[in-house]
Amino acid sequence: MRLTVNGEQHDLHSPPLTSLLTALREELDITSPKAGCHQGGCGACTVLVDGEARRSCLLPLAAVDGAAITTLEGLGAADDLSNVQAAFDEHYAAQCGFCTSGFIMAATALIDRTPKASREEILAGLSGHVCRCTGYIKIVSAVEAAVGSPA
Amino acid sequence: MAKHKGRGIATIEYPTGMNQNGDPSQAWVKLKPDGRVDVFSGTVDIGQGSRTVHTQIVADTLGVPFDWVTNDNTNTDSSAVCTGSFASRGTFIGGNAVRFAAEQARERILDIASKELEIAPGDLDIVDGEVVAKGAPDRKIGIPEVAAAATWNYGELITGTGAALKPYADVNNDDGSVELEPHSAISYAACVAEVEVDDETGEVKVERLIQVYDVGRAINPTLVEGQIEGGAMMGLGLGLLEEAYPYYPETDHRGGEFGAYLAPALEDLPDVDNLIIENPSEDGPFGAKAIGEMANNAQPPAIVSAIYDAVGVWVTQLPATPERVLRALDGEKEPRRDGKRVIFDDPVSIRTVSSDGGKGFFETDG
Repeated sequence: MRLTVNGEQHDLHSPPLTSLLTALREELDITSPKAGCHQGGCGACTVLVDGEARRSCLLPLAAVDGAAITTLEGLGAADDLSNVQAAFDEHYAAQCGFCTSGFIMAATALIDRTPKASREEILAGLSGHVCRCTGYIKIVSAVEAAVGSPA
Repeated sequence: MAKHKGRGIATIEYPTGMNQNGDPSQAWVKLKPDGRVDVFSGTVDIGQGSRTVHTQIVADTLGVPFDWVTNDNTNTDSSAVCTGSFASRGTFIGGNAVRFAAEQARERILDIASKELEIAPGDLDIVDGEVVAKGAPDRKIGIPEVAAAATWNYGELITGTGAALKPYADVNNDDGSVELEPHSAISYAACVAEVEVDDETGEVKVERLIQVYDVGRAINPTLVEGQIEGGAMMGLGLGLLEEAYPYYPETDHRGGEFGAYLAPALEDLPDVDNLIIENPSEDGPFGAKAIGEMANNAQPPAIVSAIYDAVGVWVTQLPATPERVLRALDGEKEPRRDGKRVIFDDPVSIRTVSSDGGKGFFETDG
């Protein structure tokens, strides 16, 4: 299997039915996608597959052969945050942080698709991502702010 | 069949920390030779922000900038003991431990500075990382110079230790009473819930939560907000969704998959209005009391009261699932047991268990 991950091409040696999540974490040591439920129910493993937010725990490698994958690591660096990352930082949208990378990837895809997303569109776009710490309030505030800021 | 609106209120008081069992937190503070500060406390930051709050407490107690202080609590083996991050005890008990440690280190700083400046320690103050003579601000020495003098001239380490504990209190075996020292760090809160109840489906939607929390001093208001907002959704979950599987904490009957336990999702997010009251305690760090576990206590009773306000029945078991709301609306009672007979006194209830009215399955009175 061949994947482009965060702009870099990789030939993967994991078996073809390995989940994309497992391959990213264990073969490529990319650990921002989190294994929350392994059932597609929590959103913590979300990555971008050819620009679309997908649950990496449900995707076998064989189904994404040749795709371009973006993870949190590919969005920005500590001194050069993406606008969504910067908004999460500014609005204190993380507590324990386990759900955060999934939320940021979903919000990035949402804003890419709907640059002027309304509050309702944000709630719908992030639906299915579970956060146990923040009560979602500061996460929604952060994404609303990111919608209003230039990329 | 209709949707009904209702409003309910609940209030709580919350005693900070483990109230009768003895729950130590310890901390150690030391200065590097360049005046930067290391804090070792066992309190684990699980995202609630205790590391930031403890760093603020140490910086303000010592009188140094926040970014001079490194709070390294990553190693619970080499760090001082802390009973744990629970019971709303991190800021009050863990925070007092780092405060006491910093106060002791501050005295050592003033002792060394006193020698360097030849001014009595009682006439010195620490402002923005400098030890300054009270009333003579030009007579001063920076804390880096004090730490360097301690290290290279006096052969000393500027350090401080602190510990906080609510002492163990005996329980009277005769009447169950416990005698405790009173303390000022009781937090108070009130929560109003506004709900909409569908009397056909039994579904309850929390439309709004209005919450007021007395936290003493909000040492970090953003973090306090984070606790209150997160607690609001946890409390909503406890009120409506989250079923502790039968016989908790036995794990035999728990759900087998992620979706079997319902946590609040974005769709459940109500409007949340929060108000923080700063009513300082006498014995907390900088007047702080508590926020944390207490933040998810008031919502379930407020929601149940609001359901009563909306449809006139009490749901007496949490969470108030659609099934429980409908059963309460049906006036269904628990069956009683008479020998080998399980008897539903209310004939209406039988219809919900058996399509033929329970004929040949249950006996009914009347």
